[in-house]
Amino acid sequence: MNGRRVLWLAGSFLVAAGFVWIWQWIADHRLISPVFLPGPDRAWAALVKGMTDGDLTEKLFATIRRMIYGWLLASLVGIALGAAIGTSKALREYLAPMFEFLRPLPASAIIPVAIALLGLSDPMALAVIAFGSLWPVLLATIHGFSAVEPRLYEVGRALRLSRPAVIFKIALPSASPDILAGMRLGLTVALILSVVCEMLAGRDGLGNWILLSARSFRAPDLYAGVILLGVLGYVSSMAIAAVEHRLLIWRGRAR
Amino acid sequence: MERADLHGLAEAGACAVGAAAIEFHNVDLSYSGKPILAGLSLAVGKGEIVCVIGPSGCGKTTALRVAGGLIKPDSGSVKVGGKPVTGPRRDVAIVFQDYGKALLPWRTAAGNVSLALEAAGTPARQRKERIHALLEKVGLHGHADKYPTEMSGGMQQRLQIARCLAQEPSVLLMDEPFGALDAMTRQTLQDEMLSIAAETGATVFFVTHDLEEAIYLGDRVIGLLPNPGRIGTIAKVTLPRPRNQLETREMAEFLRLRRALFDFIGKAEG
Repeated sequence: MNGRRVLWLAGSFLVAAGFVWIWQWIADHRLISPVFLPGPDRAWAALVKGMTDGDLTEKLFATIRRMIYGWLLASLVGIALGAAIGTSKALREYLAPMFEFLRPLPASAIIPVAIALLGLSDPMALAVIAFGSLWPVLLATIHGFSAVEPRLYEVGRALRLSRPAVIFKIALPSASPDILAGMRLGLTVALILSVVCEMLAGRDGLGNWILLSARSFRAPDLYAGVILLGVLGYVSSMAIAAVEHRLLIWRGRAR
Repeated sequence: MERADLHGLAEAGACAVGAAAIEFHNVDLSYSGKPILAGLSLAVGKGEIVCVIGPSGCGKTTALRVAGGLIKPDSGSVKVGGKPVTGPRRDVAIVFQDYGKALLPWRTAAGNVSLALEAAGTPARQRKERIHALLEKVGLHGHADKYPTEMSGGMQQRLQIARCLAQEPSVLLMDEPFGALDAMTRQTLQDEMLSIAAETGATVFFVTHDLEEAIYLGDRVIGLLPNPGRIGTIAKVTLPRPRNQLETREMAEFLRLRRALFDFIGKAEG
């Protein structure tokens, strides 16, 4: 089984390498103007230069910070609110229709509203990111809390657990697989909205870097930014998958 | 010997004073207009093992839940250890039938036992030793780090019993605890339950749909009638202890009780 895994990994690596090679080949033969498509060599050079100069590193961290803060805010609010709603049938019935209306609303649609209220500021970006990534966390948490096995609550009653103990020892761990899945989706949304906010509101970060590079025809810089965003998305989803694996080890241990 | 004395006491029924471990007195309970229990009166002596049988809908599980303080009766009273039941208590442990749902899947065997100790406020330093002893008692030593999903049904039910024993209960309420297990495992657990009860001196209120199990385990077997649930028969089991899966089940008295209770169930269902 391990051998197969290595094979799959090698295979996926080859596919990625092939993709880069095709990109290089297209750029070398100038099938697309180098103004729009620099080769991976030039994009890489721009990336290394940007990172060593410090400018790009700074932008990268600005975007990471924005993404993480918005995501953490969304997760905190989402879990707290979701726990309250998920454990109360009445609240669920009252709020469900409204959520169904708000949930599919593209978060980018509220950016103008947020700009009108908060201006072209970092709090505006934070609000939009948090709003967008709130939904996956909130809805998953509601589901997780409402799906706690009733028998476990009864066990809690029989053992005379206090209310906080029931929440932290029974409900929260039981809902944790749902919550983590929601947080993983939320993180992706947070990254997307960070970039969009930076582009629209001119806040410092990779989104703004990409936009400015494109406007001044610095194609290699643009691609360096895109590559970094890709890496950021990949690394963050890997990180959360690792956390999930660690926290949910009991789920994978079925006989 | 001691048990025999207690029978006399328990058989005096609702008028037994003080010494009864569980006392139902004229308990009425209806659920959305439908009467479930009507005038249920029963006294279970200290250290006694009482098995409750009856067709479905006779309220045997409801009676157990009333004794456990999970449901309040509409009228009448329930006392455990001489004190009125107002809610779940630490000295009353409930073993649920669906062990798969009653265990925390994200906690190991040790963690699940620990839950009861945490609830009782046992200091963290003392827990480890207690958990070890409890798992040993139910035959789960060496499985402390396993998650419930890694265990067989029999092991999971043993684990739930260990968690209940962590409460150091004086009364064990068992709701068809072995109903979902295969025959061999069931017999092993029956014997283990009997030896634990004998060792701890706990009073056992055992609900089952298996007549032979009821006779094999009990000092008395209570047969309930359905719609509404009320006592239809009380059979005193005089089979000698310790009981033996082969010998006890071959005794004339065992067979006589089995016939009588089968007839009772047949009539109750008919």
